[in-house]
Amino acid sequence: MKTLRLLAWGFLLSIFVATLLAEFVAPAPYAEQFRESPNALPSWQHPLGTDELGRDALSRLLYGSRVSLLLAPAAALLATLIAALVGGVAGYLGGWWERVAMGATDLSLSLPWLFLLLTVRAMLPLNEPPMTSVVITFALLGLLGWSPSARVVCAGTRTLRNSEFVLQARACGCRGWRLLLRQVLPNLKPVLYAQFWVSIPIFILSEANLGILGLGVAEPLPSWGNLLRGLENYSAVLNNPWRVAPLGLLIIVVSCFQLILPLEDFRS
Amino acid sequence: MSFSESLLSLRLSIDYRSKPGVLRNLALQMRRGEILGLVGQSGSGKSTLALAILRLLGLRGGVSRGEIRFQGRDLMSLSEREMCELRGRQIGLVLQSPLSSLNPALRIGTQLAEAWRAHANGNREDCTRSILAALKSVSLPEGERFLRRSPSQVSVGQAQRVLIAMATLHRPPLLIADEPTSALDTITQAEVLRLFASLNRELGMAILYISHDLLSVASLCHRIAILHEGQIVECGETQQIFAQPTHPYTCQLIEALPRNPFESPDRGNTPGQQAMETAGVPAHVPTGKSQP
Repeated sequence: MKTLRLLAWGFLLSIFVATLLAEFVAPAPYAEQFRESPNALPSWQHPLGTDELGRDALSRLLYGSRVSLLLAPAAALLATLIAALVGGVAGYLGGWWERVAMGATDLSLSLPWLFLLLTVRAMLPLNEPPMTSVVITFALLGLLGWSPSARVVCAGTRTLRNSEFVLQARACGCRGWRLLLRQVLPNLKPVLYAQFWVSIPIFILSEANLGILGLGVAEPLPSWGNLLRGLENYSAVLNNPWRVAPLGLLIIVVSCFQLILPLEDFRS
Repeated sequence: MSFSESLLSLRLSIDYRSKPGVLRNLALQMRRGEILGLVGQSGSGKSTLALAILRLLGLRGGVSRGEIRFQGRDLMSLSEREMCELRGRQIGLVLQSPLSSLNPALRIGTQLAEAWRAHANGNREDCTRSILAALKSVSLPEGERFLRRSPSQVSVGQAQRVLIAMATLHRPPLLIADEPTSALDTITQAEVLRLFASLNRELGMAILYISHDLLSVASLCHRIAILHEGQIVECGETQQIFAQPTHPYTCQLIEALPRNPFESPDRGNTPGQQAMETAGVPAHVPTGKSQP
């Protein structure tokens, strides 16, 4: 298991570095069209071939991975922070606060995640510049994806609120927000950490779902989502099997995220 | 030391939703500087009373009715903010389980600093000075290295001393110790009991010592109150309780005390006298036996 985890870390780090250095590593800019060679097969010039518009597939994969790998953790961070705020305050204050906050959380959980995401995304402007669409997509993921984590955080905070050491701290005169921030929050770190890590692959896949449906990151900026749209053209995939490379990379990266989850730390 | 001045007097009834009548019109008085032992069997409401005095019982779902007068003030009429000011500064509490009462995510020094900052404003040097003095008073290592340890890196006895240091950091006139020795081995128990005695002697701190262990109570306390079925059934000087118990439950408690199987038959006449000898209480000791 340890070897697998090390391999996963190594793979993720190398992918991450490659995407950060995309300007130097990629054979061409992601939007540059080689009009004389659309749907080209892999060659020295285009190691993964080109798409139907003649854009270099490897370059688009590298730039697209950068978007997904940088912004999915950002969205996960946003969702975890909201979950910490909602779940933490609800669990700490208890009573009506907890009922109202958890009622809202349950309502959010009862709505199908993908449909909710599609509905809200469809209500927002679609003809936006690519960078704006990136921010909208991942902000949406972060703002709508907090509810499962909030439930977990609330339950954890409630347990901590009733713990002996919090009672001892209260008996020493500790109180209010300081009690929450200094005594309870440090004990929530493993829970928040776990929720953060678990959310990253979920958000990567969600962005991919939105991208396939054309509601994710806008062209010509690539992301894993809109790269996967290339798989809709079945004959092109048969002609150049390397077109499944984004899908393969997505599966491997999501699997690596699961492998590197430090379960021992969470348990302790 | 004079015990004439009343420190705490209470008359309380406490109910839990699932268990009404835990304490029924319980009346108790404590004087300044005395050590009062509260003895009762497990589940009799001893810890409930400790939390009720600090008005922390609501956290456990309990409801208390009655009056708690501490230094002339009725604690039941104070606001939560005033109670927060009072907890730790005027009344300290040491809970039963040392390791679960320390925050596992914080270093010992941080926990002590939080307890200090709850009632004091000052810079880091003032805080460290107070903490080191508190550690010294409970015979813990005073070095910064000890403060950097986490609760998992200290022994149970050390953890209990840290809790006592936290509770006595602001030198409260009253310390409530809720079964502080029940999780400790015999030698550590004796050390902690000596520590309580020295805190009482040197700081004049009154201690409400809650325990089901009559022997440890006998070795430490000036007076003993016996809690049975939600009421104080007997309260008096330690020697009097052991020599002339009046309530059947007290007699039962004293009869149930463990005896040395190798002791000579002529050692003491009653189980109470034997127990007092076992606990190291001389037969002639009057009220305030450990006081100068």
